[in-house]
Amino acid sequence: MAKTKRLCTLLCRLMALGATVSAAIVMATSHEKANFFSVSFEAKYSHTPAFKYFVIANAIASVYGVLVLFLPSESLLWRLVVALDVVFTQLLTSSISAALAIAQVGQHGNSYAGWLPICGQVPNYCGHVKGALIAGFIGVILYALLLLYSIHTVLDPLLLRKN
Amino acid sequence: MALETERKTEAIFNSTPAQKQKDRILLLLRLVAFLATASATIVMALNKQTITLVVATIGNNPIKASLTAKFQHTPAFVLVLYSLLIPSLLHIYNDCACTFFVVANAQASFHNLLILVLEIVGHKIDFKGLRLAIIAILDMLIVVLAAAGDGAAVFMAELGKNGNSHARWNKICDKFQTFCDHGSGALIASFIGLILLLIINIISIAKLFKPKSYNTI
Repeated sequence: MAKTKRLCTLLCRLMALGATVSAAIVMATSHEKANFFSVSFEAKYSHTPAFKYFVIANAIASVYGVLVLFLPSESLLWRLVVALDVVFTQLLTSSISAALAIAQVGQHGNSYAGWLPICGQVPNYCGHVKGALIAGFIGVILYALLLLYSIHTVLDPLLLRKN
Repeated sequence: MALETERKTEAIFNSTPAQKQKDRILLLLRLVAFLATASATIVMALNKQTITLVVATIGNNPIKASLTAKFQHTPAFVLVLYSLLIPSLLHIYNDCACTFFVVANAQASFHNLLILVLEIVGHKIDFKGLRLAIIAILDMLIVVLAAAGDGAAVFMAELGKNGNSHARWNKICDKFQTFCDHGSGALIASFIGLILLLIINIISIAKLFKPKSYNTI
């Protein structure tokens, strides 16, 4: 029973690691050049601070994910992992929220501010960014599940264990 | 059996004067966090500015056009601000950054108010020893939600302030000065509330550790 639990957590953490790594990499390689009425239009992730924050946050969360995988099963550091899980879930949620907000403006524009949507000119870039956002969202959901699971196992707040 | 030991340790826990003082400090922090998030919600929700621009001049009469900046205009659609109890991230992501900011802060201030009232008035309510656990877990959820709202709103505000030359998006803060000032004030208040909420959450989790035996995965 303990072995299956350990295997499940390991698997979940591996999937979360994969999601954050792929989100960071896909967002960092999104780049497209287009010519629009003889005006050259270049779209890159580094032009938008929100996307830069997204890449950095996912990179940091991937490093954390790699480090946690090497933690032995019986150490007392798992209590620290609960607190760090809260921090990293919060970081990832805020980064995906920011990137989604800016991507939504890029997709639909904002008529009140006079901001035109750019997805018509650079559709490949938009598709790339959407893929990165989906990977980031999967990472957030997995991290949230891992957080709830570590609270349940380490702290046992609902007192399900009979000592 | 486990519930009884938990109740006993809670009873012992709450009776020492040092513990009572810590509880009072925690209550004070929560009150300040509530005031911060509530003020952020109110300032952003009432954030509105109308300016009139002269568009053209016909003869001696200037034609004026008035533009309004409102917090709901920073997405294209308006969300109904009534989803108070369940922080469902999935449906909120359909809407814009500023409305999400207002909703998230409204939920955070509602949560703070609820827990404040619970701690001041509700000591007789029996949670079967789960009081600390419920407060800690709810605090965690609210911290994550408020962080998401803050993150989205900060980047939208940065876009409004600096524009984005690569996407040909002009900045709007030079025209709507008061709107941007109020917005930044609301953001600062919300960040103060978020930091205080994070501190309160960490203290609540630390409280959860003490009466238990130390378990591992």
